Amino acid sequence: MSQLTLSRLKKSFSGTDVIKGVDLEVSEGEFVVFVGPSGCGKSTLLRMIAGLEEVTSGDIVIAGKTVNDLPPVKRGIAMVFQSYALYPHMTVFENIAFPLRVEKRLENDIRTRVEAAARVLQLDTRLEQKPGTLSGGQRQRVAIGRAIVREPKIFLFDEPLSNLDAALRSDMRIELTRLHKKLGATMIYVTHDQVEALTMADKIVVLNAGRIEQVGSPLDLYHRPQNRFVAGFIGNPKMNFLEGTCTAANASGVSVDLGPLGTINLPRAGAADLVGKRLTVGIRPEHVRLGSDGAFAMTLRPGIIERLGIHTVAYSQLPNGDTFIALFEGDPVMSDDADVAVSIVPADCHLFDAEGQAVARPA
Amino acid sequence: MSERPMIDRYTWYETLGVYLGLLVFLSFVLAPFVEGFLVSLKPLEHLFSSPYRFWPEDGSFDAYFTMWEHVPLLGRYIVNSLFISTVITIVVVIIVVPAAYAFARFEFRGSGPLLGMFLAVNMFSGAVLLIPLYRLMRTLGLLNTYFAMIVPGVAFLIPTGIWLLRTYMLRIPRELEEAAWADGAGRLYTLRRVVLPIALPGIVVVAIATFIGAYAQQFIFALTFNSKSEYMPLAVGLFSFFGKERVVWNELMAASFAGILPVMIVFVFLQRYLVAGITAGAVKQ
Repeated sequence: MSQLTLSRLKKSFSGTDVIKGVDLEVSEGEFVVFVGPSGCGKSTLLRMIAGLEEVTSGDIVIAGKTVNDLPPVKRGIAMVFQSYALYPHMTVFENIAFPLRVEKRLENDIRTRVEAAARVLQLDTRLEQKPGTLSGGQRQRVAIGRAIVREPKIFLFDEPLSNLDAALRSDMRIELTRLHKKLGATMIYVTHDQVEALTMADKIVVLNAGRIEQVGSPLDLYHRPQNRFVAGFIGNPKMNFLEGTCTAANASGVSVDLGPLGTINLPRAGAADLVGKRLTVGIRPEHVRLGSDGAFAMTLRPGIIERLGIHTVAYSQLPNGDTFIALFEGDPVMSDDADVAVSIVPADCHLFDAEGQAVARPA
Repeated sequence: MSERPMIDRYTWYETLGVYLGLLVFLSFVLAPFVEGFLVSLKPLEHLFSSPYRFWPEDGSFDAYFTMWEHVPLLGRYIVNSLFISTVITIVVVIIVVPAAYAFARFEFRGSGPLLGMFLAVNMFSGAVLLIPLYRLMRTLGLLNTYFAMIVPGVAFLIPTGIWLLRTYMLRIPRELEEAAWADGAGRLYTLRRVVLPIALPGIVVVAIATFIGAYAQQFIFALTFNSKSEYMPLAVGLFSFFGKERVVWNELMAASFAGILPVMIVFVFLQRYLVAGITAGAVKQ
């Protein structure tokens, strides 16, 4: 049974629609990540679930109960804020104890729970310090501690790692995943960082301009993006898009004329009326292979080459002026402004119609 | 070489210029105090000697003792001054804290114009409104009471307080209150446990500014609305040193210094809050 259901959820701020009808089901214990570019409404959506923003229309249902008009605490949620929102004048202990003090729990009970939370988060030795004396990662853990003492049904995280530096961020990512495994609670996590989304999520919700573009597991989104937006958003470096015209289409294949690059045949269940329409072929940089033994050969002339040791990224210009990115394993021999023969396997390619929707693969 | 960062290094003539500027400014501000203090040390007859001498010869602290005998109510005046200012400060803080919080956090119709009106009140000096206020007090039968001196003082000091504290409260991150709300705390609980402790330096600034303001402005209200000597604050009470034939200048000055002394002492203790409050990036996110 789903623990959280959003149905036809809408939100507008003084006439501007920010969330334009969102439907979503979240099961108990799932780690769900809302991801999208800034301004896509992901934080607003989270704040609506939290009870910090009012719902314009639609319903939020938690454990079978419509909670639209309930305050956060009655929804059984706890939230971790981007700025941590720690109370600067209270000790770590008092910060974590805050929700319990609000509930007027007994002193013994408070102490037991705060100490248990502090053990989980390795804050035992910091309980008497003020937040100002802690490092970014420790402050983050205090904020999480304040969320877990109340044992909520659902945890909400609003870009919790964005104020940390890169090294600490990957550590905290692992800690959060571990915490999720340990607590088994439902977690909803907002980020603009697709690496966080891909590494932590059971289920990713890609949002764009107030709408859900696609919901799926990380590998689902990577391998089977339903539209051009998701294809371009998930994956780093970004997917290459080649514009072309359909020359032939049947139940087992679609041919796309890419102009000066030649014609590529893709295994797709194309309807015959696709012929003559504009199509976009998508190919991820990591699926471009060195050598001309693939089914579709190209010649690239990289203008810039980035060598990272583990792999090499080459940026070349296509005849129409677009940049084409190719990513190779290791550090193959190649130099700036010299031709390189590469090839693409059609099965690796993605195909989108003029509206940006993916063309179905053959069954 | 000095340890200062490059941007804080000055040549000798720049340093000299800075200190000269300070000297001019401070002499201008402090000269009356110095002269007042010197006068308080001189015997009365020396004050009218010609040529006038600034430095007191055979100076003494006698005036500081004789003044209590010449004006027996002097102690009462000083206590009155402190009492009026203290009551004004307490009332202003009680009113300003919730008002500033409301202006900082709640969106309500007319909050902008209301703030503007408070600013406009600041532009009137109390003196402009003395006559209407006097008529009002007389009609209500409030003349010659502490109340008559306290209420106008409160009214004219509230706007500054609201503006000061509202600005301070605007700097407290909204997320702190949202976090408290998400954890189940109500508005008042959040105000008490989260907002007020963080705003404390700002509240102290308001209290100090109000106290000083009340001390300075009580003269005009006391002069107009009160004629009973036992209710007089020091600033008005000092007129007792104006005799029929002569003014007892040395004791007058001595009494002034005795009167500001308690305020000076309080100020010395609280000024670190004042500085902390004014420079506050005090709120850590």
